[in-house]
This record gives sequence, structure tokens and C-alpha cells, in this order.
Amino acid sequence: MGTKKYSFKRYRKLLLPLILLLAVTEGAAIVCGATFEKLLQGLSKGLSFLLYMFPPDWSAFAEMLQPAVESILIAFLGTVFGAILSIIFALFAASNLSNKYVRSIVRFLIGFERSIPEIVILLLLIAAFGLGAMAGIIALSIGCIGMIGKLLGDTIEEIDVIMMESMESVGANKLQIIAFGVMPQIMPSLISYVLFRFEINIRLSVILGAVGAGGIGYELEYAFGLLEYHRALTAILIIMIMVFGTERLSLMLRNKIKTEGVLK
Amino acid sequence: MSQLEIILPSKKYKQRATTFLVSAIVVSVACIYMKFNPFGFFAEFHYVWDLLGDMLWPNYRVLSDNSSLVWSILLTVSMAYLGTLYGSFIGVILAFLAASNTMPYKIVRMIAGAFLSLMRVIPALVFILIFVIAVGPGPFAGMLTMVIATVGTFGKLFTEIIENAESAPGEAIFSVGASRVQVIRFSIIPQILPSLIANVLYGFDVNIRTVIALGIFGGGGIGFEFQMAKSVLHYKDMTAVITIMIVLIFLSEKLSNYLRKKILGEGKLR
Repeated sequence: MGTKKYSFKRYRKLLLPLILLLAVTEGAAIVCGATFEKLLQGLSKGLSFLLYMFPPDWSAFAEMLQPAVESILIAFLGTVFGAILSIIFALFAASNLSNKYVRSIVRFLIGFERSIPEIVILLLLIAAFGLGAMAGIIALSIGCIGMIGKLLGDTIEEIDVIMMESMESVGANKLQIIAFGVMPQIMPSLISYVLFRFEINIRLSVILGAVGAGGIGYELEYAFGLLEYHRALTAILIIMIMVFGTERLSLMLRNKIKTEGVLK
Repeated sequence: MSQLEIILPSKKYKQRATTFLVSAIVVSVACIYMKFNPFGFFAEFHYVWDLLGDMLWPNYRVLSDNSSLVWSILLTVSMAYLGTLYGSFIGVILAFLAASNTMPYKIVRMIAGAFLSLMRVIPALVFILIFVIAVGPGPFAGMLTMVIATVGTFGKLFTEIIENAESAPGEAIFSVGASRVQVIRFSIIPQILPSLIANVLYGFDVNIRTVIALGIFGGGGIGFEFQMAKSVLHYKDMTAVITIMIVLIFLSEKLSNYLRKKILGEGKLR
């Protein structure tokens, strides 16, 4: 080595992965019909279009508040019912509470749900129940199972078995063990998962709204369809406020739970 | 002592009961406002059975009949891949501009940070609608959206990763005469690379899901095929497309986990 600081040897082992990476990138770029110049061009086109949408149509602000509230409520109810569903799934998915066969079936269901995008669930539900908030709420509830159910199931499995055995030895049945032994222990993690999921659901409720669950997403899609871009920008601003607000709120609540250790 | 024991639980239960009651009221008011009946799902469950009857069993002949379907699988993966790659590239550059230990000028830091925060709060749906108008519908619009979405999701996170890097090694080599670029190259990058790569791989996993959803809004790919099959009421073809989606998401999750283990597990990045 000696004086030569930047020897080629140092980087040689990265050469093959790098060539592979470039080849895959080139292939993908051909498939998508994209080059780097076109990419930069497209990005600048998009951003200039965003500027073209200025100024927002403030008169539409008031009539968009109700759809915004609807979107938030869809996300809220979806999260609440989703959390309830997830708890049930998580209890059956935990190895220390449930039967081995039941556990593997439930784990499979959770993994299966995780692989289906929420928007597909929603479109299927719309095909079954028709347009409306109901399909959106149910789609979000089902969407929670994959994430909260899995995380919560893992959390329950981490609970000490000795605690459960000691409760059982003094005569507690399964339900009592769950209510007094398991629930208080998983409550803090449950709440932080639920808050995190609520943030995701707010974003999802916007997307789901655009395909027919109603709410602010529908207003956005509708304004774009009518080519009323100033109105669309108003909807975008409201969505940004919604997302930002929920993010702050959930961060605040999570910190509060962490520091004060409530719910013990 | 005995009095304390009696009082404490009752107070706790009162508190708990109040919390429960208040949340139950809030939830039911929200339900009534949205005209949502949680038990309606079970009452109207026969619609689900009807739909399932239409959907089963998946018609896989569509794979050979509709040649664009196979192509669309490739398109979806490419969009997610390019979006992740370019998006994380732009995201990392912006993150270096926004991190306090790599960017000495406060004004640049603030602009980059504000831009990243702004990207974060705008959902991908907004960008796909914009890009469909700006560059026309198709995979290119989908890819551009994925680039921006990746910058939004990971830009802020990358900034935090860079800022959390240990400052002592950098100070040590700075004190013996390393330039600012050398500090970044030999102190900060080796520290952040593992978590950066882990996040990018995770980003690919997330982006595959997003790209499928965006296809429905004109982003091309398998989501678009799903929408086509659904809108012409070919439910059996649709089921086939859904199973392909599930396999795709499952495989991308496995691939991302495998690569993460392979790259990071052996400590090759030293």
C-alpha cells in the first residue's frame, strides 16, 4: 500500500455488483422507456405543472372541509375496527396462547393479507357493496390485520410464559389470563402500532377516496377530471395539512406514552 | 393501609371505565355520522359470496391470451426498481444537503430540509395525477411518481441517519488535515452505508405495493391490468391478476430480506 492512498484494490470487489446493478438499471430503463435526460425533463415538467396550478382556489376551501372530515373519519374508524380485528388475530397468532395448528393457519392468513394491497381489497369491496364510505372503512380495517396483527402477535409471544403459568396455577381461565395478564402488557405497544397505522391510514384514505370511498381523495380526483387545477390545488393543500397534522399528533401522543408510562 | 388498597383500584377502574365510555361514544358518533354500521358487513355478507362465486376460480389462460399482462409484470418491477434507485439517489444527495454535520451553510440546510418535509406530506396519489397530465399516462409517469415518492418517504429519514453518525472519527481525521469531502467519504459514509442500504431495500419492498396502487390511476403496470379486467367485469381474469400481485409482493419481500441479509450480514461494507 504505502503512499498510494486510493488503490484500485480497495474497490475491486465492488466492481462485479456495480456492473450487475448498471445492467439491471439499463434493462429496467429500456422497459420503462426512460433515460436520465428524460427523467430530469419529466421531473421538471411535473414541478412546473405544479407551479402552473397556483394560486389555489380559496373559495373551494370551505366546501372541501366536510370531505376532509369524512376522510379523517374513514381513517379513524378503519383504524379502530382494524385494531379490534388485529387483537383477535394476534391472540390466535401467538404461540403461547393458541394451539399450534390454529397459530400456523392464522399466521398464514395474516401474511396473505399483508400481500394484498389495500386498494385491491377496496375495489373488491366496492364490487360487492357498491360505492361509499362503508367499503373504505372495511378495506382499511382489513388492511390493519397484516401489520398490527403480525407486530402484536410477536409482542404477545415475547411475554414471559411464567407469568401466564402462575396465573393459571391460581385458577385463572384463558379469558382471564388475556384480560389481566396479556392486555395490560401489550397495551403500550398496541397503542404505538395503532397510532402509526393511523398515519398510514390517513394517507391510504386519500387514495381510497379517489377510487370511490368518498372524502377528500374523491374531491381531488374530481377536480383533476374537470381540469379545475386551482381547485385541485386547494384539495392538495388540505391533504398536506391533514397528513402533517396527524403525523404531529401521533408523534406527540407516542412521546407522551413513552415518557409518562400511562396505561400501566 | 387497608383503606388505601380499597380506594386505589376503584379509582383506577373509574378512570378506565370513563376512558372506555368516552371512546365508545366517540366511535359510535363517528359511525352514525358516516352512516356506517359495523354489523352491516355481516348482514350483507351474501354480496361477498356472490362476488367470490364470480371470481373463482382464477382464469390463468389470460396469461397466454393477453400478452400485455406478462409485460406489465416486468413493467411493475422496473418502475419500482428505477423509482427506488433514482429516488434514493436524489434523496441521499438532498439528505447530505439537509444534514447539519455535512452542510455548513444554514440557508442551504433549511431549503433542503423544507423541501424534504414538503415532499413527505404529499401523498403519491397527487404526484401520479400531476405526472399523468405532465408526461402522459403510462409507465414513465408511474416511474417519476415513484422517484418523488421515494424521496418523500426516505429523504427525511436519511437526513436523520446522517445526523446520527458518530462525530468523533470525523473530528479526528479533520484535526489531522482531512478536507470536508474526505471527512464525509471516510467518516460519515462508512457509518451510514449499512442502514442506508437496509432502508433502500425496504423502500423497494414498499414501492412495489405503491406502484401496484398507482397503476389504477394511470401509472401502467399490473395495477392497470387489474383495473382493465375489473372494468370489463372479467372477474376470473381479475382473480388471476390478484394472485400474480400477491406472488409479486411476496417475492419482493423475500428478495429484499435476502439481499439485506446477504449484504449486511457479512459486514462486507467495511
